[in-house]
Amino acid sequence: MNAMRILVRFKVTPDYEALREADWAAGEGDCSDRSGAAEADARAGSGVASGVETRYVPRILDCFDESALEMALRMRDATASDGVPVDLGAISVGGREVEPHLKTLQALGYERATRVHVDAGLDFAPTVTASIIARYVQETNKTDLLMLGCRNGPDDAGTLPFLVAEELGWPCVTQVTEVMVLSDDRVRVAHMVDDGLLRVTVRLPCVLGVGNAVVARLRVPTLTARLARREAHIEHVQTSDLGIDVVSGLAGESYVLTGLEVVRRDRSGTIIGGQTPREKAQTLFDSHLKSLMGKL
Amino acid sequence: MSLSRETIVEGLKHILGADSVVTDERILRESSIDRFRMFEDIHGVYTQPIPAAVAMARSTEQVAGVLRFANEHGINVVARTGRTATEGGLETAVPDSVVLDGSGMNQIVVIDAYNMQATCQCGVPLQVLEDRVREQGLTTGHSPQSKPLAHMGGLTATRSIGQLSTLYGGIEDMIVGLEAVFPDGTVTRIKNVPRRAVGPDIRHVIIGNEGTLCYITEVTVKLFPYLPENNIFLGYTVDTMKTGFEVLREVMVNGYRPSVARLYDPADGAYHFAHFVPEGLSVLIFVAEGPAGIAKATAEGIEAIVARHPECRKVESRYISTWFADLNWGPDKIAREREGILQTGNINRTTEVSGDWGCINDIYENALRRIIEEIPDITMAGGHSSHSYINGTNMYFNYFYNVVDCGPEEEVTKYHTPINRIICEETLRHGGAIVHHHGLGKARTPWVKDEYGSSYYILEGLKRAFDPKGIMNKGTIIPA
Amino acid sequence: MRSLVVLDGTVGTADRQARALGAFLRDGSTGHPAAETLVFFSDDRDMGRLVEQAPTRGVRLVKTAERRPDAIVDILSAAARDAENQLFIFTGGYSGTELATRLAHRTGGTVMTDALSIEIGPERLTCRRPVYSNHMVGSFELAARPWCVSIDVSWDDEAAAARREHVVLSSTDETGAAGGPDETPFEDLELVEPPPTGDLEQSRFLVVAGAGAGSRDGVERIAAAARRMGAEFAVSRPVAMSAWAPMDRLIGVSGTRTAPELCIVAGASGAPALYWGIEKAGFIAAIDLDERAPIAKSADAVILDDGVAVIEELAEIIAPKRE
Repeated sequence: MNAMRILVRFKVTPDYEALREADWAAGEGDCSDRSGAAEADARAGSGVASGVETRYVPRILDCFDESALEMALRMRDATASDGVPVDLGAISVGGREVEPHLKTLQALGYERATRVHVDAGLDFAPTVTASIIARYVQETNKTDLLMLGCRNGPDDAGTLPFLVAEELGWPCVTQVTEVMVLSDDRVRVAHMVDDGLLRVTVRLPCVLGVGNAVVARLRVPTLTARLARREAHIEHVQTSDLGIDVVSGLAGESYVLTGLEVVRRDRSGTIIGGQTPREKAQTLFDSHLKSLMGKL
Repeated sequence: MSLSRETIVEGLKHILGADSVVTDERILRESSIDRFRMFEDIHGVYTQPIPAAVAMARSTEQVAGVLRFANEHGINVVARTGRTATEGGLETAVPDSVVLDGSGMNQIVVIDAYNMQATCQCGVPLQVLEDRVREQGLTTGHSPQSKPLAHMGGLTATRSIGQLSTLYGGIEDMIVGLEAVFPDGTVTRIKNVPRRAVGPDIRHVIIGNEGTLCYITEVTVKLFPYLPENNIFLGYTVDTMKTGFEVLREVMVNGYRPSVARLYDPADGAYHFAHFVPEGLSVLIFVAEGPAGIAKATAEGIEAIVARHPECRKVESRYISTWFADLNWGPDKIAREREGILQTGNINRTTEVSGDWGCINDIYENALRRIIEEIPDITMAGGHSSHSYINGTNMYFNYFYNVVDCGPEEEVTKYHTPINRIICEETLRHGGAIVHHHGLGKARTPWVKDEYGSSYYILEGLKRAFDPKGIMNKGTIIPA
Repeated sequence: MRSLVVLDGTVGTADRQARALGAFLRDGSTGHPAAETLVFFSDDRDMGRLVEQAPTRGVRLVKTAERRPDAIVDILSAAARDAENQLFIFTGGYSGTELATRLAHRTGGTVMTDALSIEIGPERLTCRRPVYSNHMVGSFELAARPWCVSIDVSWDDEAAAARREHVVLSSTDETGAAGGPDETPFEDLELVEPPPTGDLEQSRFLVVAGAGAGSRDGVERIAAAARRMGAEFAVSRPVAMSAWAPMDRLIGVSGTRTAPELCIVAGASGAPALYWGIEKAGFIAAIDLDERAPIAKSADAVILDDGVAVIEELAEIIAPKRE
């Protein structure tokens, strides 16, 4: 039986939750003059193309990508004894911050680990990102199933899986919450749709965009496993090897980010006084909630 | 002879009122442990004897009433407030124990800005007190990671320490007076004075007693001016831990008092600093604070010392200040930790010890080497020094392992206790102290006699004198 | 220039799509060219209702296979060849994202999802949409046409469902467009559950428990109080992940987004990920021990106290009035 070759694409992002209010405020304003700056940033790899300074916070795996990486490991485990052999590869487009994660994945049993070297912040460039991934898949011709988280960084747009699939001409299922290997060319997938949860059998090759899955956390390799894979090879690919020019790709992205504003969440925040929970509850009800009761 | 669970509950209701005696099964199960057995807890497995009740005390008189009742009938009492204990101190090791919970005693009694001291009940969360005094431009100077959750009573009972200890000291340096209730119901108050020489300092009978001698109901702590605008954050990479310890030592022995003086080894540091520190390097961190002139002089002094060590390279200060702003553990981090443990079986544990400058690097190196060699399924082992003194520093071992091939109830015996044993053995062998700031709990009580040596005589004497019937937190500090 | 509004009646969310698109056309877009609605349907019995719900006067009906977005994209690609059709507007949610993205890719146009608003100029379309996990709103300029825009899921308005006159401009049957069953890579479709969080989305009165509830018991007591008050019950991610409440109760960036008239948040600090799920609420009351928690600044009224205790007191007061 042929092995099912899975490639998981992941992204390492700044931990946005570690940014403080002042950091967001500092990133506010007009970004339209940054289209040129984005290029310079791309070369410097400073990642401030949008104006939001994220350099000082830790880097984390995007949580949806983390789900995808663990789901692929579980697919391998589930078929390990009697089913379809599963061959795992991981790929990320980025700078050196990706390397420790690739090493971790190798220790967990990802046989192939690839970094497409890009210093640029591709935060708001899903089309460029999609073409890099698609071209890699086409050039290597070693992928039956491409998995990736549904989100491409801070643009939160959810377009990336579809863009990659369109580039490849493959079918695509997004918001995937579960995957089961049926045979070497079929998977059974559960995914969220607007009116519920849809289960569907998909013939490979295909692209799966992982959504809010229950499997959310990537397992951790032991030091022994790390040691055993210490010398494992990480494949480094230049975008030029794939025939892609990132800088002109960024310039050709069909939209530009022109401005950013902080979402102001301030409401009046009136503190309700009182001594006991009872007293405070009563005051809240009398002063605010009573008048709302009719609308409920 | 011993009372039935029902009779105990009835007795407590008589003292506290029915509403203040909790007998819900699930609450009782969760109250039989602390974070030491969080792996069991997350899997819903409870191996410790289930307490008869959780008694919610609202006043010193109620605490006294419960203790008298327990003392009379030989009922084991486990004292608690914020429930952030990590070393098994809150485990109810004896069947039909009573968990005496003071979290409801949460009044700030007075903030005295003139005399720079604040008095509060045991159930006041440190975060609440700190926020209140900051409104007046003051700080307690106490900033343990558990600050969002821990309460003043528990922080005192476990001899806690905060991230700024190198300047402000541990809780023992902050407490000026307190109120505590002893098993026979005696309420004792130690008055708040700057210093006195009237015999032994009896505050230290109470601070760190971990609920084995008395129940702390009220504390008074020092206050300091809060001047965050003067803070100067310094960070350096350093090639080896040995050099890192040397820099820490030089900073301390040359008379500088930064509030934060930390040294992370490469493994532990990678969890915090991978975004700006190359793999394999250790990291030194200092925060200079206080009045502007002092902060500046402290920072300059540290810079000069570091400059003598060519292997130290400065990192941008904003990395350090950003990191420092997100260090504390609130409910969100704890919930996220639970999620991770449940899904991956990977758990993070820590053991903190101390030693003088002459031995700390040996403790660090030997313990770490043995952990990696002797313990299975380790996914990370490292550590940091975070509290320095003129004569030495602490070592906070930080390690993760995958719990495999055993049930939740075996996690402690298969992994955590053997690791604690290695660390305690190596620390004792080199002359260090086996606990730096979490308290002994029940986890490290097996090594208490080795730790104390001949001075164990004094500890035993205290226990005999103040808790002659042995009803206070059996199995903690004093081996059962 | 014309804009085409796409109403996908082959799936079960057509009512909501129509309300959302109606509200967006009314309040979310300026400089709008003449709009028509393309109504896709697969069951003839739905036709009349779908026409009635269409958010524009002019309606074009297209019959197609059920749950075949690929077929819809093919048909829309053909429509985009008409140079007049320069703007396609899709509903929010997953299906809108898919249709807008694929159409833009196939036609060389530009996709923009989750639009909060659009401004249509002669050469450029400007769009505002949430970015950075809802910490910020970004403004984008779209160049290449057709512009394929899906609207933010927060667009929804009962009033926008008002019946209006409709003119059916055309009606075609494209059920063959998707090809036969042999050509699809998708087999054995099975809609497993109705929307697990539908009741949260529709809820007018919501009680949210956060990790500050402290324990499973605390969460359950808040849930019980919510029941007594006739409120829907939801939880933050930390609570759901601690298995203190089922996952289908999760709100926020990774769960459901709600827009209740009244939302009471107990023991959740109000991190943006959670706040995203409630920010459309008419009135937010927060109960938290920490007055410095973000929620204290983003709620209308704040009680500084234990969430469980106060919610139980509120239930005592509100329950009798809601019977």
